[in-house]
Amino acid sequence: MIAVLALAAGVVLGLVFKPTVPAVLEPYLPIAVVAALDAVFGGVRARLDGIFDDKQFVVSFVSNVLVAAFIVFLGDQLGVGGQLSVSVVVVLGVRIFGNVAAIRRHLFRA
Amino acid sequence: MTRAPAPPHREASNLLTDLFRDSLDGGYAAAAERRAKAGPEPPWQRRTGRGARAFALALVGFLLAVAYQQVVAGAAGNSRTRADLAAEVAQRRAEADKLARDAEGLRDEVSRDREQALAADPELQRLRDLEARTGLARVQGNGVVVTVSDAPAAVDPVTGRVDPDNLGRVLDRDLQAIANALWQSGAEAIAVNGQRLTATSTIRAAGEAILVDFRPIARPYQLSAIGPDGIDKRLAESATGKQFKRFVENYRMVFEIKARNGLTLPAGADPGLRYATPPPSAPPSGAGPSGGPSPSGSRR
Repeated sequence: MIAVLALAAGVVLGLVFKPTVPAVLEPYLPIAVVAALDAVFGGVRARLDGIFDDKQFVVSFVSNVLVAAFIVFLGDQLGVGGQLSVSVVVVLGVRIFGNVAAIRRHLFRA
Repeated sequence: MTRAPAPPHREASNLLTDLFRDSLDGGYAAAAERRAKAGPEPPWQRRTGRGARAFALALVGFLLAVAYQQVVAGAAGNSRTRADLAAEVAQRRAEADKLARDAEGLRDEVSRDREQALAADPELQRLRDLEARTGLARVQGNGVVVTVSDAPAAVDPVTGRVDPDNLGRVLDRDLQAIANALWQSGAEAIAVNGQRLTATSTIRAAGEAILVDFRPIARPYQLSAIGPDGIDKRLAESATGKQFKRFVENYRMVFEIKARNGLTLPAGADPGLRYATPPPSAPPSGAGPSGGPSPSGSRR
């Protein structure tokens, strides 16, 4: 319950304050969103599995976002452009799929 | 039955199979195990954990909202910029058209006044001829209209895809060749899609478009020329005319020559004065602050 409220509060804050993203951070935003979604779905699944852990959730969220941003940064610096961020999207996308499938099994038994 | 040997590259395949099989972070299971061994955490730790969880989730929501707004703003900004640019182009073009009309009206006035002033002078006829030749005056007469256009794009009958390489496309070179052939056939004045060609006119390509005097013209291209009788036949007999007839047969390009009576070709763009300047004794009311040199400007 607190979790849903916190999520909603964050969305409302973002919509109300309308922060402008600095141009330097702009390329990292989409990847950060994917990383955050991965952490959230992982947390939901752990919750349904009954093994949720606050510390693990926070750490995985922060490290996911940081590592994803670092990989994008590294790709930019190495001159391979968006190709390294493809790896982030693939890995996190596969994990999101797997976690959503597990959540679905929990909720619908199918 | 024997067991199959372990495949080579175990590391790599393990990485991928792990990824597909265990999408959950291993840390959750480890933490649960630790909890089962050491018992539940003290209350202060649980409270901090809950706070951190709420904060992280708020951050996630914030991130989502910011990303959403970023995407929306970007899309709106792009389309708005394009619409603004298009509107500005249309507005500037309308302004330029209006100024050109004004200039034409003023030029008509000047030539009327001049004709009145020079009514008795035999030079007037020579002046008129020169103006007609150089494209400074509107001309009327009989002549020929040449219509050129691209061949219809080849469409693949199976896939329905349009072949991007259209060999029958009209290039700027084609219009140049036809204009030159018209001059050669005796044309006295030529206009392309209503734009008069003068001695300094250009027919050029910019990307896909053809520009006449830096103004884009659209298909089908119509070259109207005023010239002596039989100019249409001479054009058809010329090397260029024969060449385009072959283009019509081979590439299905559109090329038609039609004699027409009573053509009116507009005056060309004003060439602008290069060396002449308005006399310094012009009435000061006409010259604004940025006008020609004012009498008081030559103070030494």
